[in-house]
Amino acid sequence: MNQLHEHIVRSIDEEQRRLVGELLRMGEMAAAQLEAALDVVERRDDKAAERIVANDEAIDVLEHDTSHDVMRLALRGPMARDLRELLAALRIASDIERIGDYAANVAKRSMALNLAPPLPQVRGLVALGAVAGRQLHDVLIAYRDNDADAAERIRARDAELDMQYTSLFRELLTYMMEDARSITACTHLLFMAKNIERIGDHVTNIAENVWFRARGDEALPRRERRDGTAQAG
Amino acid sequence: MTDLAQAFTMNETSPAVADMDVRRDLRPMPKLKLSTHGLEFHYGRARALHDVQLDVAEKRVTALIGPSGCGKSTLLRVFNRIYALYPGQVARGEVLLDGMDILTPDYPLALLRSKVGMVFQKPVPFPMTIFENVAYGIRHHERLSKADMAVRVESALRQAALWDEVKDKLRQSALGLSGGQQQRLCIARAVALRPEVLLLDEPTSALDPISTSRIEQLIDELKRDFTIVIVTHNMQQAARVSDYTAFMYLGDLVEQDTTETIFSNPSKRQTEDYITGRFG
Repeated sequence: MNQLHEHIVRSIDEEQRRLVGELLRMGEMAAAQLEAALDVVERRDDKAAERIVANDEAIDVLEHDTSHDVMRLALRGPMARDLRELLAALRIASDIERIGDYAANVAKRSMALNLAPPLPQVRGLVALGAVAGRQLHDVLIAYRDNDADAAERIRARDAELDMQYTSLFRELLTYMMEDARSITACTHLLFMAKNIERIGDHVTNIAENVWFRARGDEALPRRERRDGTAQAG
Repeated sequence: MTDLAQAFTMNETSPAVADMDVRRDLRPMPKLKLSTHGLEFHYGRARALHDVQLDVAEKRVTALIGPSGCGKSTLLRVFNRIYALYPGQVARGEVLLDGMDILTPDYPLALLRSKVGMVFQKPVPFPMTIFENVAYGIRHHERLSKADMAVRVESALRQAALWDEVKDKLRQSALGLSGGQQQRLCIARAVALRPEVLLLDEPTSALDPISTSRIEQLIDELKRDFTIVIVTHNMQQAARVSDYTAFMYLGDLVEQDTTETIFSNPSKRQTEDYITGRFG
């Protein structure tokens, strides 16, 4: 970020820094939840899964706190980059909170999955989750550094996530058709895969807001979407 | 078409859409009412304006913002040549009003003053009745019958959103009005002469918030009929009332654009520093 002067009223800078810090903390928590959820899916650990579900509340509490800070900053009548900063923060907080929810959902559903014998496709799910996790990690760095170009690249990479999701989706459909006894477990995996794909979408939203915060209404380049599951089957 | 479909169809003549158009109608670009080219201004030796190129759109509100000493009030005063009252104050360059240069000696001052009205920061009602305050200026320009004058005064007071408050005390002294009312009286005085352009120099700086809001509402209504240029040091006000904003600094016009652009994503760092309070 190039040299920005401080505000004449210095408390504005302090509050802005605090808000960014809170969002980064929220993001790190959501990323940790996702990583932990993928781990419990692999290890089939119900106790750990329950802890992840319980931890989601901490993210919700943080989002509530950021709302107060947003309100305080809004009352100062921010303009230009300060206004964009605030609007972006509001939307990003909401996206991170949803990511946390989806991660917790994955952990929760793993407990149902554990009732059935292990499926080979779990590996594909964990790999899908790792891609989403990397996206999330990268977009938080882009937010921290106010890097619009990085945000654009992250947004474009969502296409890969969509492709992997579509391919896992097809794989699971095929498996279900071959062996009806696997339907319950495969259905759980489908939902979990969908949750991860949605995490990817929210990361894209965050990327778009990082762009907006830096560049305003300047339009992003068109991007391709590769989620073909609506046509699959 | 079913009723439901009709309700959802964007009908260009429906009132809701028409109002939106008046509020922020910036497409297509309206025609220019005023423009300056290479405008320079000196107070004696001191240069107050440097090579200013300002465009003022017709029947829109253009705000001039900038820190103290940036030249915004000086620029405003060029538009009605009020500086001509003071020796040693000189303007050079071109200022076009409907395509005609008002700085040339050929352009009659009386004509200019009838086309361009001005309202100042401190309300300055004449020490006369409310009625006379409005009638005084008209009399200097036109010969009207008593009945016509009464109609004209009422019309001006209505335009200034003051009629209802003063209609029963037109023969009372204007000095008995509140600050906000006095300012609206000054606006009535200005619009009574049917100018085409209204220059407002920090019109609400001396007023309380409610009077300020009333006058901002008034500006919204007035721009249907007048081209308005407003100088304000209150950025929130500029963002609220104007369609276009020009940022000035030390005699230079740094940036001008739609108000939305200036206040959401200005091009110049200087502009952004000023409007976000990053320097005084």
